[in-house]
Amino acid sequence: MTRRPGRALLVPAILLLLATLDWSYVGTEQFVNALTIGAVYALIALGYTMVYGIIELINFAHGDVFMVGSFVTYWLLSSLGFNGTISDLPLLVVVLVGTFLAAMVVMGGIGVVIERFAYRPLRNAPRLAPLITAIGVSFILQNIIQIFFGPSPISAPQVIDVQARVNLGGVDVSVVKLFVIAVAFILMIALQTFVSRTRMGRAMRSTAIDRDAAQLMGVDINTTIAVTFFIGSALAGAAGVVQVLYLGTTNFQLGFQAGLKAFTSAVLGGIGNITGAALGGFLIGFIEVNSTVAGFSRWSEAIVFGILVLVLVFRPTGLLGQQLGERA
Amino acid sequence: MKLARVGAALAIASIVVGACSGSATTAPSAGGGASAAPASAAPSAVGGASAAPASAAAGAVDVKIGIELPLSGADLPNGQPTLNGVKLALAQIPVPGFNVTLNVQDDAVNGVHDPQQGAKNIQTLVNDASVMGVVGPFNSNVAKAEIPIGNAAGLVQCSPANTNISLTKPEFGAGDLRKTNPDKIAYVRVATTDDIQGAAGADIAYTIVKARKAFVIDDTETYGKALSDQFVATFTKLGGTVIGGSSHGVPKSGQGDFTSLLSLAKKDSPDFVFFGGVTATGGGLLRKQMVTAGMGAIPMGGGDGLSDGAASVKGSFLNLAGDQGDPNTYMTVAATHDIPNPTKLAADYKAMFGAEPGAYSASGYACAQVILEALKNVGADRAKVRAYVTDPSHTYDTVLGKFQFDKNGDTTQRIISDYTFDPGTKDWKFVSQKDFGAG
Repeated sequence: MTRRPGRALLVPAILLLLATLDWSYVGTEQFVNALTIGAVYALIALGYTMVYGIIELINFAHGDVFMVGSFVTYWLLSSLGFNGTISDLPLLVVVLVGTFLAAMVVMGGIGVVIERFAYRPLRNAPRLAPLITAIGVSFILQNIIQIFFGPSPISAPQVIDVQARVNLGGVDVSVVKLFVIAVAFILMIALQTFVSRTRMGRAMRSTAIDRDAAQLMGVDINTTIAVTFFIGSALAGAAGVVQVLYLGTTNFQLGFQAGLKAFTSAVLGGIGNITGAALGGFLIGFIEVNSTVAGFSRWSEAIVFGILVLVLVFRPTGLLGQQLGERA
Repeated sequence: MKLARVGAALAIASIVVGACSGSATTAPSAGGGASAAPASAAPSAVGGASAAPASAAAGAVDVKIGIELPLSGADLPNGQPTLNGVKLALAQIPVPGFNVTLNVQDDAVNGVHDPQQGAKNIQTLVNDASVMGVVGPFNSNVAKAEIPIGNAAGLVQCSPANTNISLTKPEFGAGDLRKTNPDKIAYVRVATTDDIQGAAGADIAYTIVKARKAFVIDDTETYGKALSDQFVATFTKLGGTVIGGSSHGVPKSGQGDFTSLLSLAKKDSPDFVFFGGVTATGGGLLRKQMVTAGMGAIPMGGGDGLSDGAASVKGSFLNLAGDQGDPNTYMTVAATHDIPNPTKLAADYKAMFGAEPGAYSASGYACAQVILEALKNVGADRAKVRAYVTDPSHTYDTVLGKFQFDKNGDTTQRIISDYTFDPGTKDWKFVSQKDFGAG
């Protein structure tokens, strides 16, 4: 998909070099922390970037979809009677698979409903209109959760033992973190495969490039956009499960903060670009952890956004540019 | 166009209605708060005749106490018990000749205390001519936004919980907050200040826990940063070491993820972790993540921002920290624990609200006492109430004990209470209190 083949190798090479250097600077434990934080941002950022790529909408409600996902997870686990670590491995696997599937399907469904009622009627309206409805949907989701679960932060069951460690090259690393990173990578590879190899993925790409031409070529635009929302929201749902497993807490305002960071990730990597969003998410995770290690935790936000400004000044389309939509 | 005209008509109608109802409630003082001579004359006559509860008596003057507290969201476990303390005071203390009600304003926006909302609320209360004094706010950053407005309007505010030094002490910039009327302060507080509270936290760490190497984190807010800085100063002075030499800030928008900071802390093996902040800005999550990071055995301490109820209270520090996180936690409250009659207050509170009082219920009660005392003595005149409350020569005999306000509005009762987690009741347990004297 890249036009200059040289760059395809250059970017991963630079990243690999940077990652290795950083590993030796921050150490294994902090490296894993950065990957974990980055994985959550990346999972959410994918939804932003896919939706932007296909209908050029900054879906401000997406962070709240993630938040609702974490509450669905909390509700599911606690109503099934789980209130702590599950030590029985087969049961744990069943619970994890079930939770991920349920949260992803439910949130995917909610995403499709949001698209159908809040965005589709405005698809040909001026661009500001769906942006405002997106903000509206964000408030609606927050308020629904506030009504059902209350405004206080919630302590959610962490079914994976958070104190379990495995020894990786002489350093004890938390199992939960490795699990989170693995889940994120599996989902991202699955997404990349889906978009680049399947018929529906091709429909998504062609709709992103030119909606009218795609329609003329027989692509069902409505279905394609609905599928995009389903996948993006399902990934946010998965991030919601991850949030509960990893931090064991959630609150109805979580979506705004997480959404802002994830949106930044998407812009940093090049909004509309799936690889870029994942890269941006991990980058922000690394920037945050590095500023903490360097003793600048107080300034981590300023550093993140400072780097964003710098990148945008020199590369207005983000690090990897816009792969999906060529119209900015 | 048509819609705009209808809207304008509605707005005018509502102003007229508002004005009517306003003049109805403050009928005796037709010109608003300034000329309340008839109002103040009436109560003193009644007051002289009998001290019986006459709040419901015919002819009583309607006055209000403003409430400016965070009453929704994550701050609710703080705000509600404080408000209940005020309600209890109103129910128990007769103010002959007056019918005292509340004008309640919530400064929480989306569940978290918000300075801008607080400023709006104070303006609302200033505009309500029947409000004679305000109990609140709860959070120091909210107070910072409110004090200039109250000062300009001459409406007295009594905070049950603010502890930040810059709110009152001119040497820390309080003069900037009361520029309009530098000589007429309109803000007092019954809680003592962070310089003492942070010192008390360091005292717990050094003397009770016997820690020598502390890791300090703050939430980058007005309250949390000042508390942590004072902890660092005192702990170092006592002979302890603070890792990195200063406090590490974690802004709330970091999703409450302290993992990488804790990985950093663990390398230097601290024997105490101090958090300057409140539960809503990450207190409980920090403790929970300390367990996750394998640091659950290290004691953690904080200020009164963590004092928000038992482990069974949803969203409280102890609730979020979890079963493994609760042991070995300490916090201080910038008020006296050994109040003169704790059993009576607890029993009355329980009878009225069906729960144990919160850490600041008595403080809310005391603030209401101060304002009611002024009301009894000078009548329904906002300016006189302000002058009476802030007069350093007046001693108040409250549920917290006897105290005065100094010329800056700070209480002369400089006592800090220490608490730790009690595994039996799964709640905070009083350890000791220390009188830091009339500094």
